Amino acid sequence: MTVALEMSDVSKEFDGNRALDSACFRAEYGRVQALLGENGAGKSSLMNVVCGLYAPDAGRIAVDGVPVSIDGPAHARALGIGMVHQHFKLVRPFTVAENVALANRLGGRWTDELARVAETVERYCGELGFELDPASRIDSISVAERQRVEIVKVLMSGARILILDEPTAVLTDDEADRLLAVVRGLAGRGAAVVLITHKLREVHDFADRVTIMRAGRTVADEDPKTLDDRRMTELMVGSAPRSAVAARSGGGRARLEIADLSAARDDGVAALAGVTLAVQEGEIYGVAGVGGNGQTELAEVLMGVRPALHGTVSLDGEDRTAAHPGERRKGGLGTVPSDRYLYGLTADLSVAENFGLAGLAAGRYGSWWVASARMRGDTEAAIADFEIQGGGPATRSRLLSGGNAQKLVLARELSGGAGILVAHSPTRGLDVRACAAVQSQLLEARDRGAAVLLISEDLDEVLDLSDRVGVLNRGRIVGEFARPADRHAVGRLMVGHA
Amino acid sequence: MPDRAAAPPAGAYRARRLGRLNLEVRQSIGRVRHAAFIAFGLGVGLAISVAILLAAGVEAANIFDEFVVLTFFDRLGLSSVLIECSPLILVGLSAAVAFRVNFWNIGIEGQFFWGAIGATVIAIFDVGPPATRIGLMLVFAIVGGFLWIVPPAIFKIKLGVNEVISTLLLNYVAYQFVLNQIYGAWQDPRDRFPHSEAFDAAERLPLLGWEKVHLGLVISLVAVAFVWWLMQRSRFGVYMRFVGANPHMALAAGIPVAMTIFLAVGLSGALSGAAGFVMGAAQEHRLTGTMAAGYGFSGIMIAFLARNNPVAVLIVAFMIGGLYAAGQSVKVFYSLPQALVSLIQAIVVMCVAASDFLVRYRVHWLRGDGR
Repeated sequence: MTVALEMSDVSKEFDGNRALDSACFRAEYGRVQALLGENGAGKSSLMNVVCGLYAPDAGRIAVDGVPVSIDGPAHARALGIGMVHQHFKLVRPFTVAENVALANRLGGRWTDELARVAETVERYCGELGFELDPASRIDSISVAERQRVEIVKVLMSGARILILDEPTAVLTDDEADRLLAVVRGLAGRGAAVVLITHKLREVHDFADRVTIMRAGRTVADEDPKTLDDRRMTELMVGSAPRSAVAARSGGGRARLEIADLSAARDDGVAALAGVTLAVQEGEIYGVAGVGGNGQTELAEVLMGVRPALHGTVSLDGEDRTAAHPGERRKGGLGTVPSDRYLYGLTADLSVAENFGLAGLAAGRYGSWWVASARMRGDTEAAIADFEIQGGGPATRSRLLSGGNAQKLVLARELSGGAGILVAHSPTRGLDVRACAAVQSQLLEARDRGAAVLLISEDLDEVLDLSDRVGVLNRGRIVGEFARPADRHAVGRLMVGHA
Repeated sequence: MPDRAAAPPAGAYRARRLGRLNLEVRQSIGRVRHAAFIAFGLGVGLAISVAILLAAGVEAANIFDEFVVLTFFDRLGLSSVLIECSPLILVGLSAAVAFRVNFWNIGIEGQFFWGAIGATVIAIFDVGPPATRIGLMLVFAIVGGFLWIVPPAIFKIKLGVNEVISTLLLNYVAYQFVLNQIYGAWQDPRDRFPHSEAFDAAERLPLLGWEKVHLGLVISLVAVAFVWWLMQRSRFGVYMRFVGANPHMALAAGIPVAMTIFLAVGLSGALSGAAGFVMGAAQEHRLTGTMAAGYGFSGIMIAFLARNNPVAVLIVAFMIGGLYAAGQSVKVFYSLPQALVSLIQAIVVMCVAASDFLVRYRVHWLRGDGR
């Protein structure tokens, strides 16, 4: 076996966060190399370095044994590196053949070229055992078929090093097995395949070797046969020191109740498949899980911006499943969304407006003539209380750093004395200090008697803060743990085949 | 949930290279610098316009006289600017209110027509006593403009139908309806021309006693004050800003997004209807097929240049009114074609609009290979 790709001591930093910390990786021709890790472990960042999307701050890369400095995606392609991204890069109103032709120009007159591309697509599909009609439009085919288009696209461009970013995340079990069989076949014909995943079953069944990453570092490069599930989970989730947050037993009264809740993603794929949980006053209920198992949809359904297909959401015993977000807020709900500039803040408006909006909507600043002086005063008080730095009430909120923007969201959501708080990845992308500040606000809210639902893909955070932990896997709560939750048991349910 | 590490970092696409010119997105800009860039665009536009006028044979000394002295500093000139700008202010406000909530109202002319139709119905059928006639005409005009924008508003909010198409096409429907009436039932029985009969004295807006300036100017100024209050001082105005800038966040924060859009858009239609009323009751004194021509795009242009700010709409509408008035007199005195007047107006507007580029990007000149 010859080495296709070798990376050593690769580091990359984004705004002070180390996404990659001296990471190492190698892939060989004729083999499937799995790349395993939690969300944010650095898997995607590492592979984005390989395909030329990120320039590493430090480290060496060699392709076919030759040291290279990859300038950009075109250079990576020329080196025979192809990546199938998790989010397909396809133009929806166009046909399969047109999309493939866009990435692989064969030359000649456009109509002839399209016909030849369609032929080539059919040839590849025959070889791979794919069913795919080159003439069908992207928006009329299934997610699995779209993925096949991406794979054909990459293969046609002559890729010999093939990177698949969580290819089975969007597939059903049958589809996933068929895809992975094809992937094995590609390796059998000499390609070097990198399979990014966090499913242990796939690693065991389909990979020749596995690289495990945690917090931007490579922690193992082994033959999966030598690692059992328990050991693999341990390597993946590590063993962080247990923090000293005082446990609370909830007051008993359930304030947020979710029963048998189902919802779908924008493209119609089921995301939640019967979630049932209850959060009591004075407790933090943590939802642990690998990203993409329904976290976003759960948060959005609770916020009231995504419809529930089935089941109920009750706030303080009142059914609010179909309520407008405004009614939910009147019912005492506060929300901290994961995407701060989508649902949390309006970037082009001022800090005072973003802070005051909740109070304004609740009627605290008048309606005919907005008491802007009072709003500004309250904003200044919140800026002091929550230690928001980098701007005053008139600053556009776009200019705040991530941590300060998040503190602003929290300040607003807690300002109305919210009794029920839903926080989704509230510390994502924050530095250590901001992270600690946000977490202590959540704990304070809990100590005041609020019911806090903490949805986070950061296992450490969930285990540190939560009084109870539920594991979300494939749209269902597959297990619940009381504090102190067994880290490895939680980890196993997260990555297990539920 | 996408793995966020897979998304490019915020700064990855911030700098775009364009040969040896490096463009960087500005995070913020000071008021003075913003104004300076707009003034720069205006200056370039005026310089090009002057060059065109010179090439067309207008003497250099006369250009300043025509466009500045005789337009803004002459009693007759200023009065015609004020008359020109009253409907312009109303259509500018109409566009600004709709654009603020991200609703692209291209149907201002249709709503304008329905405003004029509403006023005309009251006038030609002599509805109510003469004393309240003119007030009733205004009310019907406002209702007419409002009703004409309700279907596109509802289709947009409920079904996601693109309002650019629906409002644009409804312009033609309104126009054809007006033609149908003025060539048919409402044709002037006196001269058999395709327009309605002339409005009586009680159905015309009174003059203010200064040249031919009429009450329409007061109506426009009241509308500016009202829209200023609504957009800049009321709670509804804050809602409008959030709905326009980030409807996702607005919804999540509990704002009644659909109702905010509906009311703002309805107000937009009502203001266009009021412009139709002013045009009919104060300038044309009847319903005609050409009375709305050009007001739709003027409104859009004014709102754009004014950045949807109602007070700025007042100022821009005044300037555009001046350009119109000066254009009319230049056309007559130098026998220039109408196309040239429109060309000058377009160039000035385009240059001011293009200055937006400098507001949004910081431009660096680079030496060497551009790295």
